[in-house]
Amino acid sequence: MDLASINFLQIFLNGLITGSIYFLAALGLSLTYSLLNFPNISHAEFLAFGAYAAYISLEIIENNFFLAIMVAFILTGLLGILSYLIVFKPLSKRGVASMHLTIASLGYGLFLRYSIYQIFGREALTYKIWFEAFNIGPIRVTSLWILIILTSLILVFLLHLFLKKTLIGKAMRALSNNQILAMICGIDKEKILLLVWFIGAGLAGIGGVFRAGDTRITPILGWDLMISIFAIIILGGIKNPYSIIASAYIIGLIENFSIILLTILNLSTEYKAIIAFIILIVIILLKPYGLFTKIEK
Amino acid sequence: MFSRKKENIKIIAIALIFFIIGILIGYYAILQQTTYVLPKKIGEIKIGVMLPLSGELGPIGSKMLNGAILAAKIINDTGGINGNYIKIIAEDTLALPEKAIEAAKKLIEIEGVKVIIGPATSTEVLAISKYVNDREVVLISMSATAAKISELGNDYVFRVIASDAMQTQAIASIIKEKGYKKIVTFVVANDYGIGLEEGLKKLIGERIALSIRYDPAKGDYRTELIQVASINPDAIFYALWVESGKIVFKQALDMGLEKIPTLGGEGMADVAFFEDEKAAEYILRSGLMGTKPSSPKGTLGYNIFYEEYKKYFKEEPGLFCDYTYDATMLAILSIAKASAYNGYEIKKALELFSKYYVGATGHKAFDENGDIILVDYEIWKVSKINGKYSFETIGSWNIVQGLTMKKE
Repeated sequence: MDLASINFLQIFLNGLITGSIYFLAALGLSLTYSLLNFPNISHAEFLAFGAYAAYISLEIIENNFFLAIMVAFILTGLLGILSYLIVFKPLSKRGVASMHLTIASLGYGLFLRYSIYQIFGREALTYKIWFEAFNIGPIRVTSLWILIILTSLILVFLLHLFLKKTLIGKAMRALSNNQILAMICGIDKEKILLLVWFIGAGLAGIGGVFRAGDTRITPILGWDLMISIFAIIILGGIKNPYSIIASAYIIGLIENFSIILLTILNLSTEYKAIIAFIILIVIILLKPYGLFTKIEK
Repeated sequence: MFSRKKENIKIIAIALIFFIIGILIGYYAILQQTTYVLPKKIGEIKIGVMLPLSGELGPIGSKMLNGAILAAKIINDTGGINGNYIKIIAEDTLALPEKAIEAAKKLIEIEGVKVIIGPATSTEVLAISKYVNDREVVLISMSATAAKISELGNDYVFRVIASDAMQTQAIASIIKEKGYKKIVTFVVANDYGIGLEEGLKKLIGERIALSIRYDPAKGDYRTELIQVASINPDAIFYALWVESGKIVFKQALDMGLEKIPTLGGEGMADVAFFEDEKAAEYILRSGLMGTKPSSPKGTLGYNIFYEEYKKYFKEEPGLFCDYTYDATMLAILSIAKASAYNGYEIKKALELFSKYYVGATGHKAFDENGDIILVDYEIWKVSKINGKYSFETIGSWNIVQGLTMKKE
């Protein structure tokens, strides 16, 4: 295997695609994590839900992928709110510890996943839409890949504006920083929480559509990504949306480059998880609060 | 005090209820036990069968068992072996190696069988082959194809299905015929994929420029495919699982690899690949061709099996029913030839007898590894007629005649 012959630009592009999907998937999880102080395991199922929502949309109105993405965003966002109101709000009102919430989310996730299995069956589905592939210079791209990367970049920009410029965005950051102080200042925590669940789940829904378009639609679509998503959240530090974006792309790139290494060693690409874990362990040892988190003394 | 007593009674009552439920379940389980007793007259000859009768492969396994029962029935209906009737003792292995060891121990140590039909999967056969070999018990698997089984050199292990080693010979001969000098193998990282990859390396290692073993759970394979593109090979050999394989093919088209010719193993001749539009287009445009054991439907041997099966079970035979039938029939005939219920004698008879046995699935002559010698492979190619994708046969291969391609 000649290293020089490998098209590294293309691998970089792959890393961007993977990273974009990871960013969409991880952001909502980190937002709810930082506000409610528990990892919502059922977040993985929001990705699968979004993928199936888009599938139904495409079955009804054919060839309108933008509409399907919007449908996935809104329906999954609503599912997020519903999940909060039915499962997590009543539990946190009773003052349970984060451990209980985590276990509840695990069970709730299984419920969601197997509900999807029941409705759509175990056979993987695909979107009946043809994404054109073409060459740009030395790189091969498809319209879907461009869409994935552009959508993510636009969403990153919008998120930045939202967090920095709008009042709700500022309130959100305040709440995530210091809940009691924020509430004393008159921030309506409930309202913010509903919004956070909507945005977080909705973005995961879009991530699910992209992943499904790139691969296939199956109920375990989100669950398959969970190890990487948790790696991103630990790498980025839970409370900082900006570092989540950065670490999503870092993990995406590392995973794709590690595949080259594994193939050269004639090992199965199954071991790519090991490489991600090694990086994770090193980071936990050296920077336990995340790569970009400054600890203020 | 009183309330505590009441509490105690409650607990005892609950315990009793569970106890009774437990006994009922246990009793039901005994009723369900998979021992099939055939009419007994004078003596009986036991044949053990190991199959997944429950669990994920349960539906297939239970039908395969019918194949064994049919063989026993045909012999028993015509008077058995010298008036001794065949008794099939089936054990459920759930297709798990640890269960297979338990089942083998039970069959050999408690039931005292000298012949076992099964198990169905290669992992199970590998798990018990040394155990049965040491105890001189003949084992005939109906569906384990891993090449590794023959390498262990266990004299008592046979199989009526072709080893993957044979298939790699067929594939290698296509590669030579086509004159491909630089090959990339792209296989799923499990016994099946790695077995085929290593088999090819043994035969035409000098032509293999890169081997990729992919993780079926990973979900996207763009980077693996870039590596393939960077080699610019004459052809790609694929051994994929359907689920993940559909993604590989779809992304291969996305990456623009359709100009490189492709080859595939047995599992690739599956219409499920056509469910993804892009995957189907890639298969067509890259001219995927491959091998699969040709199922000799329509031969006299198969027709006899098919008619009898339908008459007795009132349904169509399932996957590997015919192979299970052949394995059992061979075992019964070998016991008759050996005229002794003794593992060594039965093995000797089986080695001799197999040369003259042509069953439902063809000629079953064994080589010194216990693998069948004569396997006919179909060479298939994908074509699209009236917008529908299908597999067409374009040639055949066997070890005697080699590669024969139909005139195009």
